[in-house]
Amino acid sequence: MLTQALAGERAAFAALVRQHQRAVYSLALRMLSDRHAAEDLAQEVFLQLYRNLSAVSSQAHLAFWLRKVTMHRSIDRLRRAPRLESAAPAELAAAVSETQPADPLLERRLRALVGELPPAARAVVLLRYQEDLDPADIARTLGMPLNTVKSHLRRSLAQLRERLDETAAALI
Amino acid sequence: MSENQQNEALQLRLRAALRRVDPGEGFAPGVMARIAAEPARTARPARAGAVAGWLAFGLAASLVLAALLAHEWQARRLEQGREARRQLLEALRVTDEKLNLAYRAVNSQERAASAEHSGA
Repeated sequence: MLTQALAGERAAFAALVRQHQRAVYSLALRMLSDRHAAEDLAQEVFLQLYRNLSAVSSQAHLAFWLRKVTMHRSIDRLRRAPRLESAAPAELAAAVSETQPADPLLERRLRALVGELPPAARAVVLLRYQEDLDPADIARTLGMPLNTVKSHLRRSLAQLRERLDETAAALI
Repeated sequence: MSENQQNEALQLRLRAALRRVDPGEGFAPGVMARIAAEPARTARPARAGAVAGWLAFGLAASLVLAALLAHEWQARRLEQGREARRQLLEALRVTDEKLNLAYRAVNSQERAASAEHSGA
C-alpha cells in the first residue's frame, strides 16, 4: 500500500489514511481536548504526510513519523493557544461512547486527569498507554532524553494515582 | 494492595481509558478533499512566485539604472567643476598679466619723470 501511495496512487494514500487515522486522531484529541481542533490537526498531519511521502521508507517508519508529527504539532498548538489546554474534557468522554467501558465514570475521570497533565508529560503518557510504546521509542518520537521520559512517566503515574484517590475519597 | 500492584492496576485502567477512538466516516474523505485542493493552492504560489521573480528583476534593474544615472550625474558635475576651475585660473592669469603690464608702465613713467627732474 505504501509503495502504491509512493507511486502516486491516491486510492492507496486514502487507504493509508484510513489505516492510521484512529491513532493520529486519538493522539490529537487527547492532547488538545477539543474534537474540532483534533480533527483539523489530524488532517493537517496527513496533508503534511502527502507532501513528504517520499521521505517515508517503511510502514514502521510511517507510524513513527505520524506519531512524531502529531505530537509536535499538538504541543506547538498548545503553546500558541494555551486555552485548549484547559478545555473541558467532557468531549473526550463523548468521543468514546461508541464502546462500552468497564467503568465509564472512572475512565472518564482518568481521561480528564490525563488532560490536565502538562503537555510534555501528557504526550509521554499517551504514547506509553495509548500507543503502547516503550520509553526508548517515546524518547525517539518526542526527541527527549530517555531519563526525562522515565521521570515524566513516574511523576505522572504518581500524580494520577493521587488525584484518583482524592476523587474516591470525595465520593465516599 | 502494594504500591506495585496499585501502579499495575492504574496502568491497566489507563490503557483501557486511552484506547483509540475513530474520527468518523468523513475524516478520510475530508483529507482527500484537502489533498485534491492542493494543486490549485500550489499553482497560486507558483504564479505568485513568477510575479515576485519579475518584480525582483524589475527592482534590481531599476536599482542598476539609478546607480548608473547617479554615477553619470556625478561625473558631469566633476567635469563642470574642473572646467569652472580652469576658467577661473585662466581669468586670474590674464588679470595678473594685465596688472604686470600696468605696473611696468607706471614704473617706467616714474623713472622718466625722476630722470627729467635730476637733469633739470
